[in-house]
Amino acid sequence: MKKFLTIVRAFWQRSLTYRFTILSYRLGEIGETIVLILMWSAVYEGQGEVIKGFTLQEMMTYILVGNFFNVLIRNFLAEVVGRDIREGRLSMFLVRPMGYFSYILSQEVGRISVSTMMSVLSQAIVIAFFWRAFLWNFDLLYLLVLVLMLLLAFFTELLLSFLVGLVAFWIDEIDGIYSTIERVRRFFSGGYFPLSLLPAALAQISFFLPFSYSFFVPAQLYLKKIDLMTGLQGLAVQTAWILLLLLAIRLVWKRGLRRYEGVGI
Amino acid sequence: MAAIEVNNLSRAYEYYRKEPGVLGSLKAFVHREKLYAHAVSDVSFSVEEGELVGFLGPNGAGKTTTLKMLSGILHPSGGEAKVLGFTPYKREKAYQKQFALVMGQKNQLVPDLPAMETFILNKEIYEISDNDFHKQSEELIELFDIRDILDIQVRKLSLGQRMKCELVAALLHQPKVLFLDEPTIGLDVVAQKNIRDFLKKYNEKKKITILITSHYMEDIKELCERVIIINKGKKIFDGKLKKLIEDYAPYKLIKVTFTGEGVEKYTVEAFGTIEEFSPYSCAIRVKREEAKQTAIRLLSSPLPVDDILIDEMKVDDVVRKIFSES
Repeated sequence: MKKFLTIVRAFWQRSLTYRFTILSYRLGEIGETIVLILMWSAVYEGQGEVIKGFTLQEMMTYILVGNFFNVLIRNFLAEVVGRDIREGRLSMFLVRPMGYFSYILSQEVGRISVSTMMSVLSQAIVIAFFWRAFLWNFDLLYLLVLVLMLLLAFFTELLLSFLVGLVAFWIDEIDGIYSTIERVRRFFSGGYFPLSLLPAALAQISFFLPFSYSFFVPAQLYLKKIDLMTGLQGLAVQTAWILLLLLAIRLVWKRGLRRYEGVGI
Repeated sequence: MAAIEVNNLSRAYEYYRKEPGVLGSLKAFVHREKLYAHAVSDVSFSVEEGELVGFLGPNGAGKTTTLKMLSGILHPSGGEAKVLGFTPYKREKAYQKQFALVMGQKNQLVPDLPAMETFILNKEIYEISDNDFHKQSEELIELFDIRDILDIQVRKLSLGQRMKCELVAALLHQPKVLFLDEPTIGLDVVAQKNIRDFLKKYNEKKKITILITSHYMEDIKELCERVIIINKGKKIFDGKLKKLIEDYAPYKLIKVTFTGEGVEKYTVEAFGTIEEFSPYSCAIRVKREEAKQTAIRLLSSPLPVDDILIDEMKVDDVVRKIFSES
């Protein structure tokens, strides 16, 4: 635990040294949210009151709250892991008496905490800006399930990114794969548009994928468009995914490391 | 008991070739023929506790590969290595807490943070007690004289300062065995000497076992009594540096200085092969066993000899000769 805290602290400090980077990223994030809101406003003007069960107000809340959740959950671990493996920095971890997995996870938690807080702040400002259109939900039970869901989603994404990063054991050029996976992830998370706009079957499937829990599902839950029961089911799905991912990481890491070490050549 | 014990250690790498041009690239895209390169083959040696051994060889000779196998990063494809009784590739914590690896070209310091932060990280990772950490870090900081750079971002430090910090980070947990891969690469002469002096002092004081690779003969001459030379993955010499010269340098150098007007080149050519020449001094290469005789002949010749010195050939030249021969 002390190891964990020390690493978190160190990388917390690291990210604080890059003031300009932190601020400039926020500009893009705010811009994206605003563009989405403007786009949907225009769509609603031509289409009337309700689209697939979403009023304009609900749609704007979906975008605002979803992006807010998303900045809490996302991480950039895949690239970090990929680079460590490709550039051989992994070696420096292998010789030290601490597992790479726990080290890099702590590092990422520390690394993103500053930018996460800044993102939360900037997204909160955007929400405040649109507060007239924003729907509030103060239902404690919903909020409790929501917090749990976001927490699980954070870990799911972290594990997922780690797993994707491990691809670098087999493939030297990873940028293409990362960007493709990133797009698929974003699509199925509902970050482009609510997944309920899709055919019902597709939307159903997305409930059983881990991606929708970092945007769509929690946003729907916030809007009370899904009930508590479904929310709880969601937690179960997330837990199952976390276990599955841990298992997959174990296997892939083992095999990847054998390749890195060059066993059996 | 030997600290490092290596028996018939081998290591092969997989690679493939690409024919030149776009067509070659297309071919390689569809089908790649696997080839194997033998980075290390059948190398055996042992290093006693407290020894400081130089590990020499040209680029691609297999030095780094061997060090990687000894530190457990690479799995050997044949043979066996034991360090402090441990099998490195099992990567047991108990082993990892007793050795350190420093690579001149790969850092463990976090580049965006001051070195002190990495020291603190390592304290936790190696589970060093507050007391030990304090004592050891103070001592190392003192020895290296780096107190005033501890709070500066590592990426802002010069290469020499960074290498000092790397060494400190690696020695905090007081390893018994230290692997150094080109610790002085890219450093200026003064910084190189600093690192060398430190290693020498530290080795004498703590009796830790050090295996060091370097391209700079100066490092090896200053630090190591014993050297192991490998080339193309095979061990070709293992013994005292002195013996290396005796075995591989059948020549000695006679350095003569002349008084007055100096001499013409042809007048000294008769004594042996001229290595360097100016009218006032020259270096003549002669066979080891003829060195004395030649010196006497020089002194009794009519040449205006002022001073005469019989010297061994430079280690650099000897090593270069070995590499070009094998």
